[in-house]
Amino acid sequence: MKNILKVIIIAPLIGAGGAVVLSCDKAVTEPIKEAYIPTKLDENAGTWKPYILTSSSEVVVSAPKAITDAVYLKELDSLKNKILPVLTPTNKDAIAYWGAGAVYRWNEIARELAARYNVPPASNAEGKYPVPDAANPLADPKFPFANPPYTARALAYLSVAQYDALVSTWNYKFKYNRKAPSKNDATISALLPVSDLPSYPSEDAVVAAASYTILVAMFPGEVPYLDAKLAEAKNARVWAGTNVPSDITAGDALGKAVGAKVMAKAKVDGMSAANNQTLVAGQIEAAKSRGIKDTWVSQEAPVRPPMLPNYGAVTTWNFDKATLTKIRPVMPYVVGSAEWQKEFGELEKINKSQTREQARIANYWADGAGSYTPPGHWSREAANLCHDNKFSEVATARAMALVSTALMDAGIACWDTKYYYYTPRPQQFGLKTSVGLPNFPSYTSGHSTFSAAAATVLGSIFPSKVTEMNDKAKEASNSRVYGLIHFRVDCEMGLVHGAKIGEFAIARGKTDGSGY
Amino acid sequence: MYAFIVLVCVTSSVYAQMPHDVIYMPKKTACIAVSYSNSSWKEYWENTLKRENLNMGTHTTQSIIPMVAVGVTDKLNVIVGLPYVSTKTSAGNLMGQKGIQDLSGWLKYQLVKNDKGISLHGLVGGSIPVGNYVPDFLPMSIGLQTKTAIGRLIANYTHKSGIYLTAHASYILRSKIKVDRDAYQADNRVYNTNEVSVPNATDVAARLGYIKDGSRIQAEFFAEHFTCVGGDNIRRNDMPFPTNNMTFTSVGFYGKYQPKNIGFNVRVAKVVDGLNVGQSMSFSVGLLYQLNYFKKEEKK
Repeated sequence: MKNILKVIIIAPLIGAGGAVVLSCDKAVTEPIKEAYIPTKLDENAGTWKPYILTSSSEVVVSAPKAITDAVYLKELDSLKNKILPVLTPTNKDAIAYWGAGAVYRWNEIARELAARYNVPPASNAEGKYPVPDAANPLADPKFPFANPPYTARALAYLSVAQYDALVSTWNYKFKYNRKAPSKNDATISALLPVSDLPSYPSEDAVVAAASYTILVAMFPGEVPYLDAKLAEAKNARVWAGTNVPSDITAGDALGKAVGAKVMAKAKVDGMSAANNQTLVAGQIEAAKSRGIKDTWVSQEAPVRPPMLPNYGAVTTWNFDKATLTKIRPVMPYVVGSAEWQKEFGELEKINKSQTREQARIANYWADGAGSYTPPGHWSREAANLCHDNKFSEVATARAMALVSTALMDAGIACWDTKYYYYTPRPQQFGLKTSVGLPNFPSYTSGHSTFSAAAATVLGSIFPSKVTEMNDKAKEASNSRVYGLIHFRVDCEMGLVHGAKIGEFAIARGKTDGSGY
Repeated sequence: MYAFIVLVCVTSSVYAQMPHDVIYMPKKTACIAVSYSNSSWKEYWENTLKRENLNMGTHTTQSIIPMVAVGVTDKLNVIVGLPYVSTKTSAGNLMGQKGIQDLSGWLKYQLVKNDKGISLHGLVGGSIPVGNYVPDFLPMSIGLQTKTAIGRLIANYTHKSGIYLTAHASYILRSKIKVDRDAYQADNRVYNTNEVSVPNATDVAARLGYIKDGSRIQAEFFAEHFTCVGGDNIRRNDMPFPTNNMTFTSVGFYGKYQPKNIGFNVRVAKVVDGLNVGQSMSFSVGLLYQLNYFKKEEKK
C-alpha cells in the first residue's frame, strides 16, 4: 500500500517536472499579414508602361454587364443569399489568407516553391550528376534545381507578368468602372475592406491566373498544388463578397493571356543554353589569357560541373549586352599577390576563430540549399515593404517587378563576371566554411551583387529606408567573408556592380509613367 | 545531408552511468566522473535512404563530460553533467564546431522495492543549453539548443545470482528554439520566423546484465530505441534540420569496474537502424571517483 502511494505521488511529479521547465506549445509565431485599403488607387496605372505587352489594351477584355442588367443582379443576389450565408471556417481562413494581397501571396508561393526545389542533384552510382529533366520533374533529381539564378529568373518573370497583367487590369477597370458588389448593393457586407477601385476585372483573379501560368512553367511538378492555389485564390474573392463570378472570369482570362505572352518571351531568353557545359574549357582558357593563374576547381566529390556557366548570356531586362560588358568589374587580385595575401589572411583568422556574431551574420544571410535563395530573401523584403506601406496591387507589382528584374540582371551580370575571370574559392587554399560552399567561381560574390541591386532599387522606392537597405546589403555581403567562401574583393566589387545594376532598374521606373 | 545521432548519444552518454540504471549512491556520498565519448558514422539515413556522402567522409563527435552524482538519501540521487562537445568530418569543407553544450540534471527516486528482487524507479530530468552554439548547422552543430524535460520509469528484476533485467520508458519534452535565420523550410513549407519547433521524443530500452558486490562489477548488453514524436524528414540530398524526425535503434555493451573509490566504465554502442540519423558507432570511457569510501554497500 505504501508503495502504491509512492507511485501516486511520483507520477504527477514526473509530469509536473516537464510542465514547469517547458511550455508544451509547439506552434511557432509567424507575422500575420492583414488586408488593408491601399493609400492610393493609382487610377492612371492603365497608362503605365508594361514590360512585355505593347500596351495595356493589347489583350482585349470585353465590357461587363451593366449594374442594372438582370444577369448582374442575379450574381449579386446569389452572392448575398447563396454564397455569403453558408461560408465555412475554411472559407474564412482562405479569405483572410488571400486578403493580404494577391501579388504578396503569389510571390510568397513562388518563394516556397523555390525553397522546395533548391537542392543540388545528388551524384549517381557512376559518380555523375544527372541533369534535372523538365519533362519528368518529380523524378530524382527533381526539376528544376531552383538555385539563385533560376529563382531570380522565375521571380522576375512572375513579377513582370503580374505587373503587365495589372496595368491591363487597371486600364479596363477604369474604362468600364463597375464598382464592387457592396457598392452596388448596400445590403451586401463584404468580409474584406472594399475601396473605390472598380472590381471588373478582378485584380486578384488576374494576378492569380498570370502567376499560375508562370509558376506551372517554372515548376512543372507542382501543377496540382498550383491548381488548388489558383482555385482558392479566385473563390476567396467571391466568398469575401468583394467580387461577383463575372469579375473573376474576366480576370482569369486576362491573367492567363498576359501570362502566356510573358512566358513566350521567357522561352527565348537564352536560359535553355545557360547550362552549356561545353563552353567551360574555353572559359578557363580565356580567363588564363587575362592573367588569372589559378582557376576555380569544384571542391565537391565527385567533381560537380559548375552551376549554369552560360547564365551570363541570358537576356537582361534593364540594360543591353554592351552595357553588361561595360559595367563588368575589373580583374580581381591575382593569387599570391600582396593584396591577395592580405585578404587571405583575413579569412585565415576567421577560419581559426570565427566569432558567434560572424557566424550569426553568415547564417542569417546564407540562404543556401533548401531556402528561397538570396533573390527570394530580397523579394520577401520588397513584398513586406509594399505591404507595410499599403501599396495598391498594381503599385506592389511595379515595385516587385523593378526589384526582381534588377535581381535577375544582377544574377546575369554576376555570372558573366564569374565565368569571365573563373577565380578560385578560398577552400582551394585549405579553408573550411560554416555555410556550405557554392559550386561555381568566386569573383564576384552573388550575394553582394544581388543585395546591392535590390537594396538600391528599394532605397529609391522607399526613400526613408535607404540607410537600412544599404546596411542590409553590406551585411549580406560581409556574410560571405564571415562564412569563409569569398575573398573581400569579391564582395566589395559585387556591391559596386550590384548598385550600378539597380540604377538601371530605377531609371526604367522613372520613365514608366507611374510618376513614382 | 547527414544526421546527428551524435547529439542523442552525447546526451545518453552523459547519463550513461546512472539515469537508466537502478544503482544509487548511498546517503552522504557522491561520485565524480569524467568520461570521454567518441561517436562516428560514415553512412546515414536521408529519410529512409541509407547513403554515404563523399563530401563528409566520416563524421566524428567527441565529448568530454564531467558529471557528479550525489546521494541525497539512499533512495534519492541527484545527477548533474555538463559536456564539452566537438565535431569534425574527415572530408569536405564543413567547419567543425566545438563548445560547451547543455547542462543536464536528474532526480532519481526508488519508488518500490520488494524482497523478490523487483523494483520500480521514477526519474525526472531536464537540460538547458549553456553554450551559445549554432543549432541548425547540422550535422556539425554540437546540440539543438532545446530545453528539455524528461520523465522516465525504470523497472528492474535482479536475481540473487546477480543477473538482472532492466527496462525503461521515457517521454522527452523539447522546447522551441531560435535560429539565426528568419525563414526556413520544414514540413514542405517555408516558415517566416526564427522560431523552430523541435519535436518531442520518447525512448525505451532493455538491459540484461550481471552485477556483483554492490555495483563494483557490472556488465550488461542493452538495446535502445529513440524516436521523435512527429517531425519531418531530410529532403533528398539536403541537410538535416532540428525539425527532423530523428529515430534510431542501437545495441551495445556497458561495463563498470570500481574496486575501491576509484573505478572506470566503458560503453560501446552501434546504431542498427534509423531515420534521419547517422549510423554511428560510439564508445566512451569514464573515470569514476567516489568521495566517501564505501561505508556501507551500495544499494542496487
